[in-house]
Amino acid sequence: MALIETKNLSKNYHLGASVVHALASVNLTVARGEFVAICGPSGSGKTTLLNLMGVIDAADEGEMLFKGKDVSGLSDNHKTELRNNSIGFVFQKFNLIPVLTALENVMLPLQIQSISPGIAKTIAMDRLKQVGISDFAGHRPDKMSGGQQQRVAVARALVINPSLVIADEPTANLDSVTAKSIIDLMHDINRTQGTTFVFSTHDQRLLDRVQRKVILKDGRINGGENNG
Amino acid sequence: MANWLKIAFGNLLKNRRRSLVTIMGIGIGFVSVSLFYGYIHNTYDGLRNAAIKGEGIGHLTIYKKGWFLKGKFEPDKYMFTDAELGKVKAIAKTDENVVLVTPQLSISGLVSNGKMSTIFMASGVVPADEQIIKGDWGKFRPVQGEKLSEKKEYGVEVAQDLAAILGMKPGSNGVVMATTPDGQMNALDIEVAGVFDTGTQASNDKYMRVPFSFAQSLYETEKADRIVVLLTDWQNTEAVRGDLLDKLNKAGLECEIKTWNELSQFYSKVRGMFDMIFMFIFSIVFVVVSMSVVNTMGMAVVERTREIGTLRAIGVKRSGISVLFAMEGALLGFIGSVGGAVAHTLLCIAVKSGDLSYVPPGNSSSVPFIVDLLPGSMLILAFFLISLSLFAAIFPARRAARLNVVEALGHV
Ligand SMILES: Nc1ncnc2c1ncn2[C@@H]1O[C@H](COP(=O)(O)OP(=O)(O)OP(=O)(O)O)[C@@H](O)[C@H]1O
Ligand SMILES: [Mg+2]
Repeated sequence: MALIETKNLSKNYHLGASVVHALASVNLTVARGEFVAICGPSGSGKTTLLNLMGVIDAADEGEMLFKGKDVSGLSDNHKTELRNNSIGFVFQKFNLIPVLTALENVMLPLQIQSISPGIAKTIAMDRLKQVGISDFAGHRPDKMSGGQQQRVAVARALVINPSLVIADEPTANLDSVTAKSIIDLMHDINRTQGTTFVFSTHDQRLLDRVQRKVILKDGRINGGENNG
Repeated sequence: MANWLKIAFGNLLKNRRRSLVTIMGIGIGFVSVSLFYGYIHNTYDGLRNAAIKGEGIGHLTIYKKGWFLKGKFEPDKYMFTDAELGKVKAIAKTDENVVLVTPQLSISGLVSNGKMSTIFMASGVVPADEQIIKGDWGKFRPVQGEKLSEKKEYGVEVAQDLAAILGMKPGSNGVVMATTPDGQMNALDIEVAGVFDTGTQASNDKYMRVPFSFAQSLYETEKADRIVVLLTDWQNTEAVRGDLLDKLNKAGLECEIKTWNELSQFYSKVRGMFDMIFMFIFSIVFVVVSMSVVNTMGMAVVERTREIGTLRAIGVKRSGISVLFAMEGALLGFIGSVGGAVAHTLLCIAVKSGDLSYVPPGNSSSVPFIVDLLPGSMLILAFFLISLSLFAAIFPARRAARLNVVEALGHV
């Protein structure tokens, strides 16, 4: 069974009288352990698709199956629990909680699961080590560089052992060297732990070693290639 | 939990100035309510003591049923005989709240120093019982000269302005005249034993206290027109009144019982006014605190929209977001209340060490200005303000919880 399967997934925005087809009948399957890049020009629907796959947005038409189950009928609380237990997020602007330290930020998804602080701390610390940023465990986000913050964000996404990590333009706010190191980090984790990643980017240079590319245009899949 | 508190607390610290303004608003609200409450609490205590002990009306006063309507015309019929007094005493003493049961006889007439005369009103009281009723109040408003005594039946206490009008001081002699219930004129010699301050201007120029037996002699009666009951605690006044009335009625004694606050109109009037001012201050604080918390938390929700989106994405439910912001509001209320309690305590100490006094309207002399420190009331007030802040924060918190996750994440 595929991890994610979309069937004729569509999402429209109404701007006055005109309708924008942000996503039009997208059929896409992502298997467990894949490392998938969504690319395409600005406005092609990358963010819309990732939001639907991350279960933070609802489609207008079609189905979005997560582990074989359609998520569209789930209540808000069930969707939230699903995200908390199975989906990690990495954002373009890092989105760490400013008043918490790196370690506390990484602990947060576990504490939402009501895991005791002691255990959460141990697991979170391991994740910080894994992304190479354990020295900054006690630092607040505003005392860290963009690259460091994004590493913390990756650790936060991974701390729950997610089935899926969604990353919408995780490198757009980083310089090219740091951007590459973040993609490499995600790639390493994908290879060593089999975590599924779906991310979007504008940057062609980052896509050399990517196993699978999905290219969007005007809300439709406009091709793709599979190097794996 | 610890991390949630840290988010709430950390954000308050982050917006230090805004939080401080809100917290100060809550703290000032706390102090104004609690200081005024401490002041009126002290004033009520003082007025209550002035009535019960100073005026000597005790907690309950028992009259024969009909005394107020018809007692003026047929006083004898509505007065207590010795036998009835004994019965009432026996019944009242069965209540463990009752400390003392004592007869009194109010008299009025003319008092003369030999050259001039003026009207007077006096309570005829049992001297020993009067001392028990006065208790520690006696030290607050001491009698100059001698107190009433069983041994010297014609020795009376005269209010200070009345003594001044008649040029009397302890040791002076005079005469009192009155009409007896039978309609006879009667006159008796007096000697001023002591001079005292009634506490109010209105009564200081006509009031006297005389021994009960002297009042009876002047009125040529063996009876008492009222029976005063002293209790262990004023809080039991109403309860004992009900019980006692029942028991007296069952024993065939048709009576009516007035409480100290029914008889002391001054207390009721002052209390009515102060209670209204208190409600007024309280309402203002209520509105100011809830509005400033709504405002502060509303701004916090707008500023932290992206943070809310992030928390929702990583798995915080709507209810969790609500709780987070409500908790932040409650935290404002908590810190404000703690600050207010500290400020109240310091101000109380300052007022006490300042040894201030003032003359309230209608009073004949100054009373100390004291603000009571009431930990129990302050705790209730703190609890109230914390709950108020929490409830005020719920409106913005619910708005935060309802935000669309995608839109919130896109917020800059
Ligand atoms: N909230 C919205 N209201 C109206 N139109 C929207 C909204 N969000 C997205 N769109 C439109 O939907 C289309 C797809 O947008 P989307 O953000 O998914 O594109 P994208 O590929 O992520 O673009 P970019 O590379 O700029 O991030 C665009 O035409 C966009 O204008
Ligand atoms: Mg986008």
